[in-house]
Amino acid sequence: MIDRIPSGFHPFVLPFLFGMIFVLSYCLFGIVRILWQLPKQDVRKFLLSLINPKIIVKNVWEIFRDCLIHVKLWKRNKLLGYMHSSIAFGWFMIILLGHIEVFLFVPNRIHMFYYPIFFNYFVAEGPDMTIQGSLLMFLMDFFLLIILSGIVLAMIKRVHSRFFGMRRTARPSLLNQIGLYALWAIFPLRLLAESFTAHISGGSFLTIPANWIFRQFLGNDLNMLPTWWAYSIALCVFMCVLPFTRYMHIPAEMMLIPMRNAGIKIRDSRKGFAKLQVYSCPNCGVCIDACPMSVNRGNLKDCTVYLTRQMRRGNEKRIEEISDKCLLCGKCHTVCQVQVEGPQLRIMERSRRHYNLSPDYSNIDTQPLTETASHGKVLYFSGCMSQLTPAIGQSVESILKKAGVDYVWMDRDGGLCCGRPLLTAGRAEAAKELMHKNEEIILGSGADTLLVSCPICYKMFTEEYHLPGIRVVHYSHYFSELVQQDKIRLEKSDLCYVFHDPCELGRGCGIYDEPRKLIGKSASIAEAEKNREESICCGGSLGSLTLSFAQREEMTRAALDNLYTSRADAIATACPLCLATFARYSDRPVRDLAEIIDAQSSSTQKENQ
Amino acid sequence: MKENIVIIGGGIAGMEAAKQLLVLGYNPIIIEQQDHLGGHVSQWHKLFPDMTSSHELLDGLSNQIKDANVFLETKVNSINALGDSYNVILNNGVNIVAKAVLVASGFHLFDAAKKEEYGYGVYDRVITNADLEAWFNKRADARIPEHPKAVGFVHCVGSRDLKAGNSQCSKVCCTTAIKQAIEIKEIFPETEVYCFYMDLRLFGKKYEDFYINAQRDFGVHFIRGRVSEVGETIDNRVQVKAEDTLTGKPLKVTLDLLVLMSGMVCNPRTNELAEMIGLNIDDDGFLKSKDNVYTIMESNRPGIFYAGACTGTKTVPETVAEARAAVLSIHHYLTQA
Repeated sequence: MIDRIPSGFHPFVLPFLFGMIFVLSYCLFGIVRILWQLPKQDVRKFLLSLINPKIIVKNVWEIFRDCLIHVKLWKRNKLLGYMHSSIAFGWFMIILLGHIEVFLFVPNRIHMFYYPIFFNYFVAEGPDMTIQGSLLMFLMDFFLLIILSGIVLAMIKRVHSRFFGMRRTARPSLLNQIGLYALWAIFPLRLLAESFTAHISGGSFLTIPANWIFRQFLGNDLNMLPTWWAYSIALCVFMCVLPFTRYMHIPAEMMLIPMRNAGIKIRDSRKGFAKLQVYSCPNCGVCIDACPMSVNRGNLKDCTVYLTRQMRRGNEKRIEEISDKCLLCGKCHTVCQVQVEGPQLRIMERSRRHYNLSPDYSNIDTQPLTETASHGKVLYFSGCMSQLTPAIGQSVESILKKAGVDYVWMDRDGGLCCGRPLLTAGRAEAAKELMHKNEEIILGSGADTLLVSCPICYKMFTEEYHLPGIRVVHYSHYFSELVQQDKIRLEKSDLCYVFHDPCELGRGCGIYDEPRKLIGKSASIAEAEKNREESICCGGSLGSLTLSFAQREEMTRAALDNLYTSRADAIATACPLCLATFARYSDRPVRDLAEIIDAQSSSTQKENQ
Repeated sequence: MKENIVIIGGGIAGMEAAKQLLVLGYNPIIIEQQDHLGGHVSQWHKLFPDMTSSHELLDGLSNQIKDANVFLETKVNSINALGDSYNVILNNGVNIVAKAVLVASGFHLFDAAKKEEYGYGVYDRVITNADLEAWFNKRADARIPEHPKAVGFVHCVGSRDLKAGNSQCSKVCCTTAIKQAIEIKEIFPETEVYCFYMDLRLFGKKYEDFYINAQRDFGVHFIRGRVSEVGETIDNRVQVKAEDTLTGKPLKVTLDLLVLMSGMVCNPRTNELAEMIGLNIDDDGFLKSKDNVYTIMESNRPGIFYAGACTGTKTVPETVAEARAAVLSIHHYLTQA
């Protein structure tokens, strides 16, 4: 390979240069702005994480895995995964190989950063063909072919997204369409440009035959420059619209991953880390099908992909609507390829509101509540929702009695709310006040274990409360222990249950197996089509501030239909809210985990004594 | 030969219709699922507002319809149009061809266990209005203590409640609660009786008098406010939490017995029947009449008529009047044809 053009420059690189400088300076500016908006301690945390070798390895690996290979998409659908990784990884390899070529053959040009991109125009095949050279040429063609196959798939996906496992995709805006068509144009144009140049620069299995074919009816030399111009312009268009389109997720995600690994949390819905999340949303629309609200077409535009879009546009009215409507079931976050925290963004958005009245809980006297709890080793908290489903508390109590556990039911006669509804409504300060009151009661009770049956409360107690010296345990874990210690014995019934994973328990706290194990010991168990992380919200969630009852009913019925696919005789769940919601419309019995265990358990206390 | 008329449902509506059809010279055939006639009324003790004995009423009616054909413990297997008639096939193999069919399949009592927060089926001391009437009749129910100190009634259980899937008013429960409260007071004069209501709908003749009697002569306490939750105390009593919306204060009452006024919901069997022959169902789940003012007893199909609570919640006098009106409509239909 020898340098063919002495100046190493041609005007057609100017569009590319312009686009590249524009997008790089935009991103640089963006990074500075995001760091500026972060609280001081977060910036410190982030910068320190960048020199921590463990986190560096993690960052590099995750960027490789998520940004280039798209492992999560592969898991969702093979075609979808191939389409994304072919374009991302292929493009990355072409850029990398381009740099290697420059480095190997014309190292004096390495400082011209457009050189690797247009390498084939600037070089000519030398008299002695090297193995390295032809291998690199081969790899270049190979990855170009991979990318082109990805582009073909992308075109098919635009028409038939169902082939890719997606029922619905987000509708792209005008700028997004421009970006999309520019992206589609880049690689065919590169193939053309390289093909027209292949008799000078050399090529491989793709470009040389193409060069020969074109020579038969087109003059290669005549078409060479226009196609290089077109290639450069396509790159320029793509890079110029990039900051204003979904393709911004490419640079944003590379920043998002290190920030997430540094442990940064969203503290403001419009600034800093939240802004980065909004820009990291690739608008793929996987969250549309995942969203439980999407059973009603009227709600299609209320899922996370549209939240991030409206946040970028600054459409305040829609931001408010979308933020308030969501059930906060967390499924969009779970299925999201870049893990945009849709629910948290909404909660922070809600916290921007100003209320004229703020509740004052300071006059609540915790003393009487504390005294009732001061004898027990185990403190049982059933939560407000369980007041509406009294069978849960009754069953838990019965099981504890059978097992001979020394317990006190903290909120038997009504207690204080755990604070979760206030927190999800964005009223963190008010929630904190309630939490302090509960902390006073729990810490003052002398108990060492807090047993919780409601997953909504459990999430709060484990994540938000400060309860030193107290073990917070979910009843599914606790009952498993009772079985293991042979304090209660379970007997199998003939019934077959399907377990519905409550959002707060499964996606919220990561508890999937314990309830299943317990049900498996007391009855047979079947699985629904969508379960565990993919479980569908019952529609009763406290998270939504505006969903109407009729809309919730539709969602409940859809969630039930999913459970019916298991053909189980009865539905089991472990959340008072799911229980009450499903019981309303279910055609088969709905039981809480505690009810099932209570019915199938017997005491071993007498034998042991 | 006398013209056959099939009456689906042997409750008060079906019985009254049979009686009137006999007078007009038709051959009514009653198809009843249960082993006795009288439907819900047969489970009741006394009827408001005159404290009429429901058994006397039904006994009188039964005597008057001795000539009617009655199939007890029988269901309609299928029904289909046959020219200008209907072919009704019963599950006992009987096949009836009739020019007119009267649907008088009534209502279902709302399953109070669906409102789990009220604790029906969870707590020992929580019963429904139907359970209480059964106790008035038989005086045997382990859930009802011998000398209750305090008894509460919760109005609108499963009525006017979107979350329970019923938005309509069941009409009879307000007055039934007042009636039952008075009866409790008559049996246990020392007992305190509370009624938790959201509105009192005392629309019929003498109903308002009934309400005033309950307050003035029997000292029943009426508290406006829905019950939010029901709990159990250590001594197995029930504790009711509610808000008195007239004083704006939350309150807690401990009771020995809580009676849930279960409302009327549509009968799911009726909907199966409607699907067999293509009858319209209204959005409340009840059968849809031609209109709700003038032709409540007429369906969207010629020859099929309605009487009673299959088209919506009704009181006994309304049901009886509608049965008579439906008979006249059938008579006109058959004589004009």
